[in-house]
Order: sequence, then structure tokens, then C-alpha cells
Amino acid sequence: MAKENVRYFEDVELGEELGPLVKVPTTEAVRQFCSVWDPEVGASRFTDEATARKEGLPHALLPGIMNMSYLITLLTTWAPAGQVRKLDTVFRQPVPHNKSVRLVGIVTDKNVVDGENRVECDVSLQREDGEAMVTGKAVVILPSRESR
Amino acid sequence: MTSPQLEFNRELLGKEFPSGTFHVEKEQILAYCQAVGETSPIYTDDEAARRAGYRSLVAPPGFSNLLVRATGRPNIGLKFSATTMHASQAVESFLPIQASDTLEARTRLKDVYAKTGRTGTMVFIVWETLFTNQEGKTVAAVSSSFVHRPRHPGT
Repeated sequence: MAKENVRYFEDVELGEELGPLVKVPTTEAVRQFCSVWDPEVGASRFTDEATARKEGLPHALLPGIMNMSYLITLLTTWAPAGQVRKLDTVFRQPVPHNKSVRLVGIVTDKNVVDGENRVECDVSLQREDGEAMVTGKAVVILPSRESR
Repeated sequence: MTSPQLEFNRELLGKEFPSGTFHVEKEQILAYCQAVGETSPIYTDDEAARRAGYRSLVAPPGFSNLLVRATGRPNIGLKFSATTMHASQAVESFLPIQASDTLEARTRLKDVYAKTGRTGTMVFIVWETLFTNQEGKTVAAVSSSFVHRPRHPGT
């Protein structure tokens, strides 16, 4: 990886913002995601409106783990040479298909633990109007300039 | 935290059981990356992963979530008619998962508890899955919490 693309621990400041990254989770993308774990994607609350409504849901929704994967892309885009050590998410609202979502984050802490350069961030997946549908806390390990 | 009035198979609480063996395929990693728009080179380019010091293509941190979907979990026999929703999930990566790794999953029922709020009583079921690789090293942990809410008339 080119050195200029590396985000170093020393350069990160508390309050630094991640994103926004905008994605439009199409029904096709949801089906593609579901097919990674089950090639025979059938009708489910994730892929079919009627099934979702039958289960008492307002609409077909993104799998929670797809929302998490989107939040991880926010972190890997921000720090391509970092390691996402942990992501802890709460699914607050069902995320619908075909509506754009904003992925944002903010650095809340940084510290060195057992020789690892840890950066802590709050992240969220939001509707266009800014309301958070999924929130999370992440820990990313970043390289140090001293170990270049 | 476990509510005494809940009816389920309590013998399962805290018990760990094998829940699957997974051979990590390069194609599966690439399909995952394409589905979520992951473009970092170590996850999408075999050569870039090798140049970065890995043996093979690296699976993004969310990949172990997918494997959890495929793990088997026992029916805990909860007596509570409800709609189930995914409440929260945490994924922790200790070591990189790479293409051609063979992972063993072990799952345990971590907690079952009830909460009562404005909309009635909800029951939370928490599972934890640990993945170890072919060298016996723990590579990832996933904690999943599901909420069972009562169905209301008309829903």
C-alpha cells in the first residue's frame, strides 16, 4: 500500500470525523449478500416484501450483519492499513431497501494497549434525514509512524 | 440477569457445543466484498494481500458474521410467542482469517433474560460463537442478541 494512503496513529485527533460514505442498498445487493451464505436465496424477510409484512414488519429489511458490513467499509475506507479489531452494533430500526444510507463516525478515544495503537470510534448508519438506524462502537488498530 | 419466570431449556445455558466447520473460499470472500462494496486491496486482491505479508486473500472483519449465520444453534424451547428481531451484534477479530483457512465454530448460549417496557415484556437471547483456525488459534468471536417481542393484533 502506498505510504501516502496510510493513516497513522499519531495523526489521528479526537473528534475527527469518518465519512460520510453514502450507499444505496438495492434489493439486488441484499439478494447478493444473502446468497454469500445461502446460494439458494429464497423468500425471506430480507428479500421479499410480502414475507416481511406477514412477519409483522413494515417492509423487507437489510440483514443486521449487512448493516455491520457497511459500517466496516466506513472504517476500512478511513484506515485502509488499519485492522478493525471490534465492532459492537445495536440495530435500532429496520433498514429498508433502495433508500440511500449515510455512514458516519467520530473518533472518541485513542490509546496504546499492550503495544497496540487503538483508536475508538462511534459509528452510525443513518437515514438521509440524519436519524440513526444502526449505531455502534468500533476499535481500529492503526500503524505507528515510529514503526515505518 | 436471567428471569426466573421464563420457560426454556435451562440446561443449555453456558454450555458450549461444536457448531460447524468452515473452509474459507477465496470466491466467497470476493462475493462478500462485492455485495457490500468493500474495496480495500488486502480483501479483494490476492497479490496485494501477499505483498502486505499475508498468506492469501484476507476476509474482512464482518466475514465471521456470515459464518455465524450458517452455524447450528439448538432450539432452547422458549415458551414465548413473539416476533423475533436481531437486537445487537458484536464481532471481534483477533487474527486475520485468510482464504483456505479451516475454521471450527463453538457456540454457547450466553444469556436469556426478560425486560418489560411500554410495549410489554421482551425476551432477549444472547449467543456467543468462537472461531478457531487450523492451528488451534482463536481468530474471531461473535456475540449475537435477539429480541422476542409480543405480536400485537394487526401485525
